[in-house]
Amino acid sequence: MNPVLVLVVLVGLVTLATALGFAWKSQQGRVHVAHGHTVIRAKDVPGMRRFGSGATLLQFSTEVCSPCKVTHRVLDGIAAENSSVTHVDLDVTRRPELAAQFHIMQTPTTLILDRRGVVRARIGGAPRIDSLRAELDRILVGA
Amino acid sequence: MSTNTPAKPTLHAKPGQQGVDPRGPRFGAGITAVLLLTVIALGLLLPAGDGFVARATQPAFVLFAAITLLFAWGAFAGVQRHPYGRLFKAVVRPRLSAPTDLEDPVPPTFAQGVGFAITLAGVILHLVGVPYALVIAASLAFIAAFLNSVFAYCLGCQIYLLLVRAGLLGRTANTAV
Repeated sequence: MNPVLVLVVLVGLVTLATALGFAWKSQQGRVHVAHGHTVIRAKDVPGMRRFGSGATLLQFSTEVCSPCKVTHRVLDGIAAENSSVTHVDLDVTRRPELAAQFHIMQTPTTLILDRRGVVRARIGGAPRIDSLRAELDRILVGA
Repeated sequence: MSTNTPAKPTLHAKPGQQGVDPRGPRFGAGITAVLLLTVIALGLLLPAGDGFVARATQPAFVLFAAITLLFAWGAFAGVQRHPYGRLFKAVVRPRLSAPTDLEDPVPPTFAQGVGFAITLAGVILHLVGVPYALVIAASLAFIAAFLNSVFAYCLGCQIYLLLVRAGLLGRTANTAV
């Protein structure tokens, strides 16, 4: 192949990979407000006795996910600041049936539940903390 | 409350496990990305002739096979024992500030396994004579390595559950209960 063409292919690949990277980054950690009325019952969540009196941060993680550990610490910190907020981290590494049940495609995925267990928001990837706090405040005020 | 609380509790790895500097795997992925671009350039500039021997001795293929072996090394021996990991520890890390956090070696080791699967498929398909198998497999592996290195893309986060849910991984773990 003509060397100029080869260079075009290489530059094209780097450009494509860069575009994919920005597209991925722009989606990571965004808070998607749920308008549906999906209700999760506490007994469907392993190890959960009852939801937080204000809200619950339901996190899904796997062992092959390093941002999951960071997210765990951050969400734990948010729950520690407010006694009405509970944080639960479910390891679905060996429990694909749970991942399927909650439609988890990537980890970490965090669902924000209100006190009745209604899914109010969904976050794929390490959450953007300011948006998460804003959404949490909205839910707590409404509760 | 306790005065004995360590200043940086996050720096502790799990018991019996040593954490890795997260910049190490990204440094290694950067080298891999550059090598894979070299494979693509060589593969396009110097295509293989006909026959198995010609394909097996094509310069692009020889480099690609070496990259595949390096992925196998990372996947089976773990990222800490990988040559790039050692190079990072010996040459790069002393020049950087201390890491703010150490990470579990399992996620980058999983990513090495995915890299190995993609490149091994390329090696086999190229050797049996599938046209462009080498360049296509190298391009896919390049995109993953580039995203990992530049954007801290986490392969395990994005595809582990998809592979498990598709039944390609972890079937035994699922049926064990």
